[in-house]
Amino acid sequence: MLKVENLGVSYGDLKILDGLSFTLEQGQWLMIAGPNGAGKSTVLRALSRGCRYTGQISLKGRDIKRFKPHILAQKLGFLSQRHEVTYPFKVREVVALGRYAHSKNALYGGAAGDEEKVSEALSLTGLSELAEKSVLELSGGELQRTFIAQLFAQDPDIIVLDEPTNSLDLIYQKQVFQLIEGWIKKEGRAVISVVHDLSLARLYGTKAILLDRGRVVAMGQPEKVISEKYLNPVYSMDVSGYMREILSTWQRG
Amino acid sequence: MKKRQFALILALALGLSLLASCGTVLEKPEENTGSFQLVDMEGRVLNLEGPAERVIALTASDCEILFALGAGDFVIARGQYCNYPEKALELQAISSGSETNTEQIIALKPDLVIMNMMDQTLKQIAAMEKAGIPVVVNSAESIDEVYKSIELIGKAVGKDMEAETLVSDMRKNFEDISSKSIQGEKTVYFEVSPLEYGLWTAGKGTFMDEIVELLGMKNAFPDVSGWAEISQEQVIERNPDYIVTISMGTLGQPSPTEEIMSRRGWQGIKAVSEGAVTEIDSDEIARPGPRLVSAAEGLYAFFYGD
Amino acid sequence: MPSSTVIRGGGFRPAAYGAMLLGTAFVFIISVCLGSVSVPLRDVFASVAAALSGEKQLLTGHSDIILSVRIPRVLCVALTGASLSLCGAAMQGILRNPLADGSTLGVSGGASLGAVLAISFGSRLPFFGGGGVVVTAIVFAFMSLAVILGLSHKLDRSLSTNTIILTGIVYSMFVSSIISLVIAFAGDKVKTITFWTMGSLANTDYLNVLTILTALLLCASLILMRSRELNAFALGEDNARSVGVNVKRVKLELLIAVSILIGVCVSIGGTIGFVGLVSPHMTRMLTGPNHKRLLSASMFFGACFLMLADLLSRTIVRPMELPVGVVTSFIGAVAFVFIFKKSGRVG
Repeated sequence: MLKVENLGVSYGDLKILDGLSFTLEQGQWLMIAGPNGAGKSTVLRALSRGCRYTGQISLKGRDIKRFKPHILAQKLGFLSQRHEVTYPFKVREVVALGRYAHSKNALYGGAAGDEEKVSEALSLTGLSELAEKSVLELSGGELQRTFIAQLFAQDPDIIVLDEPTNSLDLIYQKQVFQLIEGWIKKEGRAVISVVHDLSLARLYGTKAILLDRGRVVAMGQPEKVISEKYLNPVYSMDVSGYMREILSTWQRG
Repeated sequence: MKKRQFALILALALGLSLLASCGTVLEKPEENTGSFQLVDMEGRVLNLEGPAERVIALTASDCEILFALGAGDFVIARGQYCNYPEKALELQAISSGSETNTEQIIALKPDLVIMNMMDQTLKQIAAMEKAGIPVVVNSAESIDEVYKSIELIGKAVGKDMEAETLVSDMRKNFEDISSKSIQGEKTVYFEVSPLEYGLWTAGKGTFMDEIVELLGMKNAFPDVSGWAEISQEQVIERNPDYIVTISMGTLGQPSPTEEIMSRRGWQGIKAVSEGAVTEIDSDEIARPGPRLVSAAEGLYAFFYGD
Repeated sequence: MPSSTVIRGGGFRPAAYGAMLLGTAFVFIISVCLGSVSVPLRDVFASVAAALSGEKQLLTGHSDIILSVRIPRVLCVALTGASLSLCGAAMQGILRNPLADGSTLGVSGGASLGAVLAISFGSRLPFFGGGGVVVTAIVFAFMSLAVILGLSHKLDRSLSTNTIILTGIVYSMFVSSIISLVIAFAGDKVKTITFWTMGSLANTDYLNVLTILTALLLCASLILMRSRELNAFALGEDNARSVGVNVKRVKLELLIAVSILIGVCVSIGGTIGFVGLVSPHMTRMLTGPNHKRLLSASMFFGACFLMLADLLSRTIVRPMELPVGVVTSFIGAVAFVFIFKKSGRVG
């Protein structure tokens, strides 16, 4: 579905990302991991066309630069890690914006079926009860779910997530990942996400890329990529040892 | 505490106004040296060694008074807005008002500086007096005060006689004009800023108001004081018999009179429908100097015909 | 029922528009009757009837005031209020910043500079009334917006509320210093600096009415067509991009529309501060943040707000007048603190 070839991003002389190539097939959940400053979020920024890049990104054989923004949005949706809510929009209003790509015309109110899609997205994310609530009154988890619901209403083929569970409580973390896991099951869908938490990458991912200072260190099955062999040099520490140490505190109890 | 401060300020103000009301010369002759004392319009007392011969006049009206007294040769520099008489333009122009440059003045070594009263004046005076330069503050706000200021300046430059003559001439002229005029109820609207920049008129306490009264007319805006912003609808409502503007036209644009006559909604005003609109030189009518007489004569001609 | 209002339009029902129109008309009539000279309602209607029918016998003693001074002035005030309020609402959406307004960002200041430059250094192009002044004011308004956005982007990529406001303040000071400089050089041509810093619509005529009306019709239809995009911007530029908004193009369109409106308003009435801050904020408390409602409602609200402020400005010290900008700035400064405090708590 998605093909990235020789992707490079630089700010001035500084190369943030260099020679990244990968493909994404339907049903796949690609995890992009790496330490701070590895260039993970930059990959997503390039995908959303939020920055200049070299190389090529193509979707179903067509350069993404050649899509009109709303057509691209029908195929590719993004979830950022922080949400900037300033005004008291209702949850339903935020979710309904997801339909923008499908009914852009300003004079025409909305396409048939839009309302169903919005209601479906709300109930999928368990927000039906909160639909009329102001987003300013939501908890962090509810807010994140609202924007996931917006993505579901947008109904793209590929969802791109930037550390979707950052700063969320464990319960919400689990909810979010399970929601995505359910979503991806349908025909013709795929997910790319940047994660900090290496265990989550192993647990949910079907493919993984480990980045370090803008370059690919390893790519392939999560169990192989997210392993001592690659992680320890990248993080300059005994990663799995530390993980086991953390887990062992549970066993002691 | 506050009360005491207030009382102090009140006392000071009273004292000042008392002094100002005498506003003329306190003679204290010391024959040989020729030095004497002056009390300026703000009630400040200053000692002069003798009649001043190197004078800087920062305000246009003071410059006009000096020349009218035949003391034009004593003026070594003028404020930038002093533009009358023509001979004054030959003098070196220096910045005045809030931009007064005390260093520049001190460098010119005058033996007297004459200026008007503004917010910054006291600071500027202090700087000049430190450098040994006497400063006369002149701030006449009525025709009577203009007489006083002429006498004051005359004294300062040793032209007492000339000052006396000038004042009595002015008095006579004003009396003539006034006695020729017919006291009536006709109203005059003064326009000091045109429509384009918002309408401003001259109310009570201005020379325009005083002269209009002298000419037997009434100011259309006796209920405002000084220069004030008013609205078109007020002018239309008050329906003045005469309109006098001090605007100066710009080349290639309709004259101020034409502009006033063509204003929408002004056609019903008596002054406009009867064509009783005129322009007057703002320098003549707004400056506290001898030319107030010619302003009054000009207005007399306008109101009563020649 | 709520679902259909959200997706299909989400705008008001016709009855709601009718009510807002009626309210605005009411304020309009009050504003025409009252002033430094008060006119009975009967005279107002008689004068208007006389003007429309051409029957001279209907004219009253106040007809000149009503027809030539009061009505064009109040119309200009209402249209300016609607325009500035709409601009404020649009900018607050684009920038996701409840404190954004032509005056707080320095856009009005920039437009004033353009107008002052045009007046000082000639080039009165043959165009509506103000001539080259209007065009220059629009161009300067747009350049100012570009500079302010560019600068705050350079300083802080996330475009936080405080950065934008600070940039706006710095820019305003910069512009006003240049205006003073120009006035110092141009001298007589630009009589009063206060006119450009404290706006007033005291002496406007029907030509001004026509100019603002044209600009408002043009720009308002453009901005209202972008209600959904503004909703997306109000949730963050990243979010707008994600849902498929053509961010660059829509932003450019909106900023041009805003610049035209502010440029026209400033060249006619000078800088009337804070209208675009106060009015959309109060409207938002009634309608919620959805731009489908907010934009149109804040135009009505802005018109009423400025008409009342103007009424105050011409009656409070009668027979003298205050520039209306004095009144709006007074109210606006208080509102600014209030909104700043509130938005600080949320953000």
